[in-house]
Amino acid sequence: MTMLLETEVQRDIQLLRRAWENKSTFAFLTEKTGVGHEWIEKSLSLLPDEMKNGHFVLLTSGTTGAPKLVIGQRQRSEKLAATLHQLQEGEPVEETILALPLSYSYAFVNQWLWSHCHQRRLRLTSGLSDPTALRQALQQARNAMICLVGVQVPLLASYFQGQSFPGIIRVHFAGGRFPQENLPLVRALFPKATIFNNYGCAEALPRLTLRKAEEADQAADVGRPLPGVELSVNEATELLFRSPYRAVGVVEDAKFSLIPSEAWVKSGDLAQPTEQGTWRLLGRASEVFKRHGEKISLATLMTTVTGAWTGQAVFYREPDSSGEDGCVLVLAPAPAPGQLQEILLSLRQHHGRAHWPLRIECSAALPLLPNGKPDVHGAAVMKDKTRLWYQRI
Amino acid sequence: MENREKLKKVVEDVFLLQPGEFRFDLRRDEVETWDSFGVVSLAVGIQETFGYHFSPAEASGISSVADIITLLSAKGIKFDN
Repeated sequence: MTMLLETEVQRDIQLLRRAWENKSTFAFLTEKTGVGHEWIEKSLSLLPDEMKNGHFVLLTSGTTGAPKLVIGQRQRSEKLAATLHQLQEGEPVEETILALPLSYSYAFVNQWLWSHCHQRRLRLTSGLSDPTALRQALQQARNAMICLVGVQVPLLASYFQGQSFPGIIRVHFAGGRFPQENLPLVRALFPKATIFNNYGCAEALPRLTLRKAEEADQAADVGRPLPGVELSVNEATELLFRSPYRAVGVVEDAKFSLIPSEAWVKSGDLAQPTEQGTWRLLGRASEVFKRHGEKISLATLMTTVTGAWTGQAVFYREPDSSGEDGCVLVLAPAPAPGQLQEILLSLRQHHGRAHWPLRIECSAALPLLPNGKPDVHGAAVMKDKTRLWYQRI
Repeated sequence: MENREKLKKVVEDVFLLQPGEFRFDLRRDEVETWDSFGVVSLAVGIQETFGYHFSPAEASGISSVADIITLLSAKGIKFDN
């Protein structure tokens, strides 16, 4: 099975086309997987024979935040690209500008596959890692589409203050909270663009619903299901879906699981239908949340912290200055400087910046619940805390 | 604290450097945590420490610790050895 790395594809985008047109199933991965090469190879070896041709594999994190391989069938994803082309009024779009990692299922399907199926140009950039090159691409854009995550909006507005890019005619958001409050910034940057909120999840590969920005006034309103997609909720208000475009299997915890054709699959969110026929998200189904488009598991973060710290620790959730979900770590008692450094280095070693807490605070002791567990709410509101470190975001 | 020490502390703190990793000739491409959000954090850290706010163009153009010193020196902030 071919394994394609994102840096290879950045150097030669034709590798991806050849892999897609080749019969054999391929995996497309970022270099910084957070799991070793051995984990990937072992997981790929679990694919059943019938999935060793005509499929593709992406790496993602599941509702537990644990790494997971998602297996897609190429024909199903091509149908999704065709559906999106129609619903997102893609015909006038001549090119798409990449500002996200291409191995994200969002960028992979909405941009690379769409451009491949509809013979449109894909312009590669390094996104906000190289704002000068991104600006140049935006300035040169002609009837172009771009896919973004909401957290990029304040950064784009800061980097490109006072500038606008009329060559962008479609802007798509997915992979996290829709930037409803920042729509004026988006419209100032892209005055000619139609703006869409896309919602989905890894197993949906990746789209379930769609709405135009102006069709709702709340970020949580994710619009209506795509044609062929069915949505439902269970008693716990967990959002379930059936979709003709979804993944056909996953490999998680060293185990392959087939997704049966009639199965209702959990999206990982809580939701409810509205009277208008749209769907409104109510929050994550677990203590996993998205930040900068990446799923973060507080349990996984705690594992990292407790590997370097033997005192008490608890996380509480808090939005950062741009409204993006984040978390704060509270330690008790106060760590020595060397202990704090160990925790910080461990965070750097095991997690990307998006996963780092916004702050690390300390107190003499943590408030506890009657069952002896740390009181998360109490830790958030207690007054006698000291700030030890912060991200300055 | 001297300005060189202050700058070292900010850079170590923003990018979570290991002891001994900081150098005054450290380059952005040597530190994987010096990403786009790291650039924003660095700009905030510099403003808090030295009172100077990098413009977006300045912040994104910084490719080394030496670049930071050059920029701040041009604003009258001294980094004598």
